[in-house]
Amino acid sequence: MQGGSSGIGYGLKYQARCISDVKADKDHTSFLTGTLSLKEENEVHLLRLSSGGSELLCEGLFSHPNEIWDLASCPFDQRIFSTVFSTGDSFGAAVWQIPEPYGQSNSSTLECVASLDAHVGKINCVLWCPSGKSDKLISMDEQNLVLWSLDSSKQSAEVLYKESAGMRHSLSGGAWNPHDLNSVAATSESSIQFWDLRTMKKVNSIERAHVRNVNYNLKREHILVSADDESGIHIWDLRKAKVPVQELPGHTHWTWAVRCNPEYEELILSVGTDSAVNLWFASASSEKKTSESLVEASRLRVNPLLNSYTDYEDSVYGLAWSSREPWIFASLSYDGRVVIESVKPFLPRR
Amino acid sequence: MATEAAPMDEKAKRMRDLLSSFYAPDPSISTSGSSISASFDNINSTSFDADQYMDLMIKKSNLEVLLQRHVQMAAEIKNLDTDLQMLVYENYNKFISATDTIKRMKSNIFGMEGNMDQLLHKIMSVQSRSDGVNTSLFEKREHIEKLHRTRNLLRKVQFIYDLPARLQKCIKSETYGDAVRFYIGAMPILKVYGDTSFQDCRRASEEAIEIIIKNLQTKLFSDSESIQARAEAAVLLKQLDVPVDSLKDKLLEKLEQSLDGLQIKPEEASLLAEHNDSSNDAESNEQLPAKIHEDAVRGFSEAMRAYREIFPDSEERLFKLAKALTAMHFENLELYIRKRVSAADFLRIFRIIWEDVILMDEVLPEAELSDLSAEAAQVTVKKFVARTFSHLQQDISDTILKFDINQKEAVEEEVLKVVLEASKKAGIQGTTDIFQDFRQLLDENIGIFVKMKDLIIGWIQNGFQDFFRSLEAQFLALSGKTSSSKDIEGGLVEGKSSDKIHAGLILVLAQLSVFVEQKVIPRVSEEIAASFSGGNSQAFENGPAFIPGELCRVFHAASEKLLQHYIDTRTQKISVLLRKRFKTPNWVKHKEPREVHMYVDMFLHELEEVGKEVKQVLPQGTFRKHKRTDSNGSNTTTSSRSNTLHNDKMTRSNSQRARSQLFETHLAKLFKQKVEIFTKVEFTQESVVTTTVKLCLKSLQEYVRLQTFNRSGFQQIQLDIQFLKAPLKETVEDEAAIDFLLDEVIVAASERCLDVIPLEPPILDKLIQAKLAKSKEHNNNNNNTVSS
Repeated sequence: MQGGSSGIGYGLKYQARCISDVKADKDHTSFLTGTLSLKEENEVHLLRLSSGGSELLCEGLFSHPNEIWDLASCPFDQRIFSTVFSTGDSFGAAVWQIPEPYGQSNSSTLECVASLDAHVGKINCVLWCPSGKSDKLISMDEQNLVLWSLDSSKQSAEVLYKESAGMRHSLSGGAWNPHDLNSVAATSESSIQFWDLRTMKKVNSIERAHVRNVNYNLKREHILVSADDESGIHIWDLRKAKVPVQELPGHTHWTWAVRCNPEYEELILSVGTDSAVNLWFASASSEKKTSESLVEASRLRVNPLLNSYTDYEDSVYGLAWSSREPWIFASLSYDGRVVIESVKPFLPRR
Repeated sequence: MATEAAPMDEKAKRMRDLLSSFYAPDPSISTSGSSISASFDNINSTSFDADQYMDLMIKKSNLEVLLQRHVQMAAEIKNLDTDLQMLVYENYNKFISATDTIKRMKSNIFGMEGNMDQLLHKIMSVQSRSDGVNTSLFEKREHIEKLHRTRNLLRKVQFIYDLPARLQKCIKSETYGDAVRFYIGAMPILKVYGDTSFQDCRRASEEAIEIIIKNLQTKLFSDSESIQARAEAAVLLKQLDVPVDSLKDKLLEKLEQSLDGLQIKPEEASLLAEHNDSSNDAESNEQLPAKIHEDAVRGFSEAMRAYREIFPDSEERLFKLAKALTAMHFENLELYIRKRVSAADFLRIFRIIWEDVILMDEVLPEAELSDLSAEAAQVTVKKFVARTFSHLQQDISDTILKFDINQKEAVEEEVLKVVLEASKKAGIQGTTDIFQDFRQLLDENIGIFVKMKDLIIGWIQNGFQDFFRSLEAQFLALSGKTSSSKDIEGGLVEGKSSDKIHAGLILVLAQLSVFVEQKVIPRVSEEIAASFSGGNSQAFENGPAFIPGELCRVFHAASEKLLQHYIDTRTQKISVLLRKRFKTPNWVKHKEPREVHMYVDMFLHELEEVGKEVKQVLPQGTFRKHKRTDSNGSNTTTSSRSNTLHNDKMTRSNSQRARSQLFETHLAKLFKQKVEIFTKVEFTQESVVTTTVKLCLKSLQEYVRLQTFNRSGFQQIQLDIQFLKAPLKETVEDEAAIDFLLDEVIVAASERCLDVIPLEPPILDKLIQAKLAKSKEHNNNNNNTVSS
């Protein structure tokens, strides 16, 4: 730890892109992160914040066969998580289980629960059903959307549906709507698409080019936040999807990812390739806000940027709120540094 | 001396007391006055007891004192004696002189009674004589009076006999006024004796009067007669007891109709204004519309005056008419200023209207026309001010959009520069004109303007505030920075789809904002301070007036936003280019690099375009030369460092390489001071270009990081970047940062490469030289085609 940052740091051995909150761990604030190294032995780290909140401890260190491009923790079992990995010329996705008893660093091999091997192209992400109980999974490659049913006892995953989005739309990522479990948002080159999982059809879309990341507001239905390469962050009301409800300037370079706080609906975090994490206060996520008052707000020149954490050496790609302590978030920069920060000073007064 | 003065005083006091007691009618009062100092040993008090005093004296004093006292007392007694003697003598004298006077009076009165009797007798005789004269003249006087009365009667009779003839004469000479006067004079007699002795006369004169009435009525209704004459006729008719109500109605209707003629129609208004202009040198020309109008209004007001006198009960209706005329005037004025009108023209028309109003106000002061028109005038002037501002805004946006048609050539020919200069000029000229106009408004000394001065100043200040605010909003809307939400509600950009605006124009807008902030607003605030201050008190009621500080902030923010937006749109374009480049090929199965890839050309071309646009619009950075040499010095060190890094990399064995390489880059980063990539953009050519290049290189790095390369793929990247190095450095201010970023791209590619073996420098050189030669040839060809 150098510099004046208040955060708690932890260094991975290699470069890394993804970090995930372990939502199922009710007793601790923990995060899972995986490294991205083309030539070395990749690792998955299970990190836990000490009870005092002053230290970040490595609870488990597991080797992973390939470089990890995406990682998501299972919402109902803290030992299970999914990864998307690359061998260099091909991609794969799998669900893993941390061996029992975890926490002792000697048991370092992961058990593969299921391999999600219905893809051919570049796999983007694996999404867990946000209900917290359902064993449904979605994996996405550039052309296809696959819905899986996971049976962890039988150590297998079944393809329920597989639907092609078409050659023209190369999908790049997505988010599962926490308010409507039949709806999934997927980002493609030219738009944000909304899929209905019952029919596996595209039902709606927002025309917006180069959206890199989307995230649903967990507290407010119909509110979706998107991050673009160039034009920052947009907040959408899905019922009036023509025009964004609010725009935030985003980052100096690309805005890589956005995350809405699971508890405080106005707080939004974003990370960008300008080596910064920005904390935003988006009061306009309330539906009452009309475009006029938006204009009015811009007149008043209220700065929605609450804070910018800039103590990073490289682009920041990984970002996760803790669902257990919603004022804590973890960020991961490309050089493999995990930083845990608390936004307590910026929490809105209730 | 003092000891002497005291007894002297005492003595005088005692004298006064004594005298006053002597003259006082009641001794008790005088004693009460002096009793404060009185004791039993006071010789002046009434309760003075000589024996007791004597006893006290003898007891208290020795012989010497007693002797002294004796001498003193004897002297005092002597003094008192003489005083008393004097008093008695004086009083006696006065008594004697009084007696003398009385004696003289008695002798004077004697003999006066006889004179009085004589006087009475004489007055009596005067009275009797005057009575005699009076009685002797009485008869004659009576006779004279009788004769005089008869004569008067005869004259009257004569007048009545002559009446018909006289009336006829009047008809002939059309002096109806006299005729009516005669007739009315004769009326009482005709009424009494008309049935008997003057029957013929009466009939004849009535006939004449009939004719007169008829004539008068025709006169009243004939349009050829002057309004004044007609009004006179109406007065006469009224005197003749002819029922006039129906006449009145008809007349008023006519007056109403004549209102139309008095309108200043918007089409004519300009004519009116123009002609008014030239009226100075052609005074005699009767056809001038302004003059005609003035005469018409004058006639109208005269008629109103006459009608008012004739028909006192018709005031209401006249009020209505006058108000209608005023309202109409102002409505027309409003219509008129809907088009572009200079303040001079506006004022000219306004002056005409105001004169009309004053004319009518003189005639009908009760109609409160001035109040009505003051209100209307306020509204109109306010609208005029608002309209002037909107015209200015329209002007500026027109100049900006005028050149928008030929977008492609914008880069080649210096269209952007032209646009910028034109809109700058429009801004400055526009504000100057506006000030001139407003100064005219303020200088105008029509009463109403003097009254409204404060209000007008308030409006102007508010107007400027609103103007700049909406100008800023329009700039942002024009640039398409504010997303479609604003376009839907705003409609500011008429018909132009704002999102298709040329990127260069955004730059122009940015620079224009700076210009507004630095030049126009200070100028305006100066002007306001110079000639439009003082209206504050009024303006504060409805929000703040002109606040240059706030506006400067607004425009500063806008300029930065617009500049950022320009860079964004530019980098977005390049980003699309890069995205395509990295998404399409399969980098893992890349073939050996044969030449520098196409996209580098396109990238450089885009940068060139940016450079050209920027050169047209933005000023050059002042420290360019200085910085350049500076960074040149540092440049060599950084590049040498990165070179050694590369050399090291190459010599390492494959297995060890990646790990150590990562370690090394980290180490290098630790020791290299962190290069600030994302610095604040400044309004200079170099800063904008540099920022664009930086952002693009960063994008390039990010795209590279998302791919996995084989050896050839890495070599291709290496080649491209190596080629980029030279031209980028030429265009860019901050060479260290560019070097850093280019190195970063190569590092990123090597990290994402399965098998890192860089190209040998000679091969690299050769390929680059080939590319350079090719592009030179291409350029030559291009030039040839252009020249031929």
